[in-house]
Amino acid sequence: MSNALWIAVLASAAGTLLIRLLPLLWMQRRLARQASDDRLEAMPQWLSLLGPLMIAALFGVSLMPVTPDAVSWLATAIGVLATLAVWWYKRTLGWPVAAGVAAYGAVMMLLG
Amino acid sequence: MNLQAASSPSRAWLTGMSEAVPLLGGYVPVAISFGLIATQAGFSAWEAVAISTLIYAGASQFLFVGMVAAGAPLWLVVAMTLLINLRHVVYAPNLAPWLTPSRLWPWLMHGLTDQIFALAHARLPQLPAAQRLGWYTGAALLAWLSWIGGTALGALVGGELVARWALMGEILPFALPALFLVLVAPRFTSRRWSLALGLTILSALLLTLLGLTNVAIPLAAVCGALCFQLVKFGHTAERKDAQGERHE
Repeated sequence: MSNALWIAVLASAAGTLLIRLLPLLWMQRRLARQASDDRLEAMPQWLSLLGPLMIAALFGVSLMPVTPDAVSWLATAIGVLATLAVWWYKRTLGWPVAAGVAAYGAVMMLLG
Repeated sequence: MNLQAASSPSRAWLTGMSEAVPLLGGYVPVAISFGLIATQAGFSAWEAVAISTLIYAGASQFLFVGMVAAGAPLWLVVAMTLLINLRHVVYAPNLAPWLTPSRLWPWLMHGLTDQIFALAHARLPQLPAAQRLGWYTGAALLAWLSWIGGTALGALVGGELVARWALMGEILPFALPALFLVLVAPRFTSRRWSLALGLTILSALLLTLLGLTNVAIPLAAVCGALCFQLVKFGHTAERKDAQGERHE
């Protein structure tokens, strides 16, 4: 890589870190200023709304199969149902994910 | 990988790592693809690894190497990379109420990817304060190392891997939607939240289907937030939804 390209990599890296870091410093200062017993009360409502909604959006985006066709969409639907069913009974992180991947994989291998 | 809190600070590291394992199913295949594409675009293996180590942001890395290979001006490459990562702005403030006093936290924000945010947003409130730094460090470190390792693998032997295990490359990434589903499912606590979350999921999927993957996450979240603010079911109990949700 040329020097200019290295500078572009470093600028992108520094910029990305600042995008993740500066809002934290802003929020920590805000929390410290308010000195509230309940630190959650200090968070703006729009921000606390966006947290869960961003996770929901990540879920929506990630539903898109690597190769979108009828079989992979069917596998996605069955994988989602299997994940939900195991989560409903176990309320853990690992087992529902494993069950979802197994169900998705089984459909892909059988029909794909 | 139980949702119970880790029992000691040293175990918190391991708990964080073990709970981040499902992320690897999504990270490693994508990182292998990145390593392969970066070398095909003219980067050496160690340059691809350096990009993954330093920038550490999936979609924007693909854009970075693609634009460089296409001969785009470098200022535009940097600007577009940062624009794609701008959605990360809302992540750290959402975690801030649960972060303990430590000078390490700002540096650990390098590891605050979409997936680590989703995991930490669900888990940090459930952990005792003493466990949070260790838990986050373990989870973020495993995810980061898997991304770097996957990139190296893709850059060095990616072509062969993709040819031999093409189906695994399609199956393992389902770990990501499965994990996000497990993290978002407990948020369906009321009709108002269910409607907002459902609309967010559908609009994100629709935008992705339309090829607008990079703007799908922030746009869909804004759609859901507008829906939450506009739709009221007339129950006073639901007025406190936004506050109540954060305490769960």
